[in-house]
Amino acid sequence: MMFKPSSPLFSGLLWKIPWRLSAPQKARQRKRLRGVDRVVDTVSAALERNGYTTKSVERWYKEMPREEEMLPKDKYTLFDKKEKKYRKGIHKLPKWTRVSQRVNPPGF
Amino acid sequence: MSSYFRITLMRSAIGLPRRTHDVLKALGLKKRMATVFHPVSPSVAGNIMKVKELVEVQEVDRRLTKQEVHLERKPDPGYYVEKRSGTEMRESRRA
Repeated sequence: MMFKPSSPLFSGLLWKIPWRLSAPQKARQRKRLRGVDRVVDTVSAALERNGYTTKSVERWYKEMPREEEMLPKDKYTLFDKKEKKYRKGIHKLPKWTRVSQRVNPPGF
Repeated sequence: MSSYFRITLMRSAIGLPRRTHDVLKALGLKKRMATVFHPVSPSVAGNIMKVKELVEVQEVDRRLTKQEVHLERKPDPGYYVEKRSGTEMRESRRA
């Protein structure tokens, strides 16, 4: 049989990122999403009580879905034009535990 | 009545863009678990929104001192010092 070059066989140390998230990773992702929702709610309530409005908070409410409104598809995957079926795991996004990535192009 | 944001840095900004570091610096958050108080205002709210993934926020009535924040985290010592009834009575009378 001929040697079939594949990246794990070809090089020594190679980090392989699993293609999907595990159940605890997904649970932690939901927890982080809810945490961000909570921060925005607190800020918004405090501003309202003091009679202020802020563009960034209003824009967040207008554009971003809450954790409970999001589809599982959007919680754990994101759009990528180079992937088959146009989706890849959200853990492929650099710094994915510390950035907000909630919306994807409509229709994908 | 004015209130304050109590902001605690839960996640570090290591590896995040320079701007994110600068926002944390502007808020006075230098290391993880650091707590700062800022009056509720649109500009502070804007700063919090920039780093909302990294912080925890509460609305509080007054600024706590650094020592008060520290004491909240101090565990119960597990003992109490008994006093003589005379000393205790004098203390309660003074208070």
